[in-house]
Amino acid sequence: MFVLNNAWKTVIRNKGRNILIVLIVAIIAAAATIGLAIRNAASTARETGLANTSVTATISVDRSKLMEQARESQSSSSSDSSDSSSSGDSTPDFDSMRSALEGSSLTLADYQKYEKASSVSVSSYYSESTGVSGTDSFQPVETSTANAANSSSSDSSSDSSNSGDGQQGPGGDGKGQGGGPGNMMTSGDFTLTGFSSDTAIANASNGSFTMSSGEVFGYDESDNGKVIISKTLADFNNLSVGDTITVTNPSDTSLTYTLTICGIYENSTSSNTNAMGPMGGTSQDADNAIYTSVSTLKSLGLDSDTTANDDNDDTTTQLNYTYVLANADDYETFAADVKAAGLDDTYTVQSADVEQYESSLVPLDNLAKFALTLLIVVLVVGAVVLVVLNLFNIRERKYEVGVLTAIGVKKAKVAAQFVIELLIVTMCGIALGVAGGAVASVPVSNQLLASQVSAQESEASSQQQQFGRAADMGGGPGGEQQSSSSSSDSSSSSSSSDSSSANSSSDSAGSTKSNNTQQGGPGGMRQAVNYVSEINATVNLAVVGQLILIGLGLTLISALVGIVFVMRYEPLQILADRS
Amino acid sequence: MDIATATTAEPAVTANTDTPALELEHVSYSYSKGGKRVLIDKNYVFRTGRVISITGPSGAGKTTLLSLLSGLTTPTKGRVLHNGEDLAKADRYRFRSHDIGVIFQSFNLLPALTVAENIILSMDASGKTFDKPKKEIAAELIEKVRLQPEYLNERILHLSGGEQQRVAIARALSYDPQIILADEPTGNLDLATQDDIMTIFKDLAHNEGKCVIIVTHSPEVAAQSDEVFQLAPLRER
Repeated sequence: MFVLNNAWKTVIRNKGRNILIVLIVAIIAAAATIGLAIRNAASTARETGLANTSVTATISVDRSKLMEQARESQSSSSSDSSDSSSSGDSTPDFDSMRSALEGSSLTLADYQKYEKASSVSVSSYYSESTGVSGTDSFQPVETSTANAANSSSSDSSSDSSNSGDGQQGPGGDGKGQGGGPGNMMTSGDFTLTGFSSDTAIANASNGSFTMSSGEVFGYDESDNGKVIISKTLADFNNLSVGDTITVTNPSDTSLTYTLTICGIYENSTSSNTNAMGPMGGTSQDADNAIYTSVSTLKSLGLDSDTTANDDNDDTTTQLNYTYVLANADDYETFAADVKAAGLDDTYTVQSADVEQYESSLVPLDNLAKFALTLLIVVLVVGAVVLVVLNLFNIRERKYEVGVLTAIGVKKAKVAAQFVIELLIVTMCGIALGVAGGAVASVPVSNQLLASQVSAQESEASSQQQQFGRAADMGGGPGGEQQSSSSSSDSSSSSSSSDSSSANSSSDSAGSTKSNNTQQGGPGGMRQAVNYVSEINATVNLAVVGQLILIGLGLTLISALVGIVFVMRYEPLQILADRS
Repeated sequence: MDIATATTAEPAVTANTDTPALELEHVSYSYSKGGKRVLIDKNYVFRTGRVISITGPSGAGKTTLLSLLSGLTTPTKGRVLHNGEDLAKADRYRFRSHDIGVIFQSFNLLPALTVAENIILSMDASGKTFDKPKKEIAAELIEKVRLQPEYLNERILHLSGGEQQRVAIARALSYDPQIILADEPTGNLDLATQDDIMTIFKDLAHNEGKCVIIVTHSPEVAAQSDEVFQLAPLRER
């Protein structure tokens, strides 16, 4: 009691100095509060962000390695004249790159093998898409006048649109990287896509849809031949449920397929259509997508295994295989398991969900790093300031120590009194600082985060330009944004020039090959990442607790000076001391 | 005994005169080991109810003896006994805060505190309980050392040397110790005040049965005391 009383009285007596210390401590505490709150919020955001949402993953080729190979082979091999005729800018050797990339795609059996290798529960779905061409009685919906003009004569129309695809083909990746179901570059007037399950359809590249009439096909062989088409396409061709349509193989028009319409759907999201509209041919139009089951594709001989094995390179089917995992942790396990199961180095397991989430956290991570630096600097400076202040304080009060010990107050009590005095002062400072920091932390952290986000965005845009340049050299994937305007020009010009020259077969061959290898386009790099721009950096009890611990630590460190001083004091000195 | 009644566990020796309060037994002291000895083989018995003066020329070891008697330090040889107990083995912090009131030559009051605060600080430090509010006891003590009551809330800084001297005495008396030890208590004072202070000391010894030890080189003070402990100048070697 004596110690407490005395400490309290001394604190009250030395108002000026103590208010100064309170202010210093309050500033330190406020900065520390903000730092801690940011770190807390960042880790919470990281942990909870993907904890309970399912994550999709895909296996894809390593982009950079393939780009490298493509560039090397381009410099060594001679350029293909048929390509250069239709494209105005630098003419990368598509064929050599494609052949380098060819064979890099995994087969359905491979995908399923890796699924079994996983130690965590994993479900999967896949879709296969290929291009088919229309007939005189069944025409694609077309929005571009250039394409409409070409489509008047069926042969040249399909060829020209193919060649158009061939030039801009690899750039059409609008959605997730890593072979997500967004990058179907299929020659032909229509994209015929086979799905393995309802989930696969739900994740269709053209977005979600609702059935306007009829119903979705089943997935077993009994429903072979059944397709659903978009309402626009149905209206365009005046078709209804139950009608049959006939499409042809894009490279061999004598090969026809007859399909029965079992349902008509309406796209509820059509953003992809707009994004791709001017770039691709009619097959890229979401309205020209024909959905069926993988079983149907197999029965028609258009599934990926068949097309990959046959000698005819003109027809290829792109396989999109997607794994669904329960959460981000399972994804990490899955990735490790697949590597252990013998996946080659040139393939990577990727998850658009996780990667997008990770990249959306980049500013937050930077902010957390900044907060840590702030915290350390503030604490070190704070400790030094407190120690120095306390040192002067104690030296000044040497006489008081002498008097107290001389009248019989034990040194330990004197030391305790000094520590308690300091504690009272620093706790006041911490209380003030926490209050101030709590008020300031949310706006300050969001402000800091906003600046981080804008820094990240400008970095990303410069990265994008850089990648666009690299893409030109590689000849493959042009940036979506950059290429869209120019490609629409070249699309119309090339299609008109191509329609006169009969080089369609080689062109379309090239383009279809690229379709095959082009899965996992670099779309993710170009996609505008929706950065986490708000964090909830509110001060909670944990932060307050941490701060009090920090405060206690700082106080004890600085009080150590006083304790050592008091303990070394000899009461006899008082006879020599006189202030 | 009407100034402060302490409820301590101390043996009730205060009223008895001629009880040994402090004893020196062959006490020698040197500041550093093997260094110059300041005190050599001193023997003396300080009894209650007496005023004892310790005199001697400069360098005879008066201040050293004071620090030994007040328990600020311990002798290098021999023993200092308090009520028959060796001070070197006792809790000297408790001894200082409980059993002895020291009036230092330089008073050693805390300048930032008021008179009352200084007095109450010592009372708090003693850990004793008092039957009256401490503020009241302080007021009575101030009156006893003949200071005006308004001095109570005055800071020590604002007091003269003589006034500080009286406050120091009041502080030494506040927790009712058995022994009062004063270092040159009259050094800064005029003759009239000197007599005043000596009257207080004699009253404490004769009427309250305390052991009053005064370190002084003033012959007048020595003449007024009951016993004189003469420290001879050192003639070592």
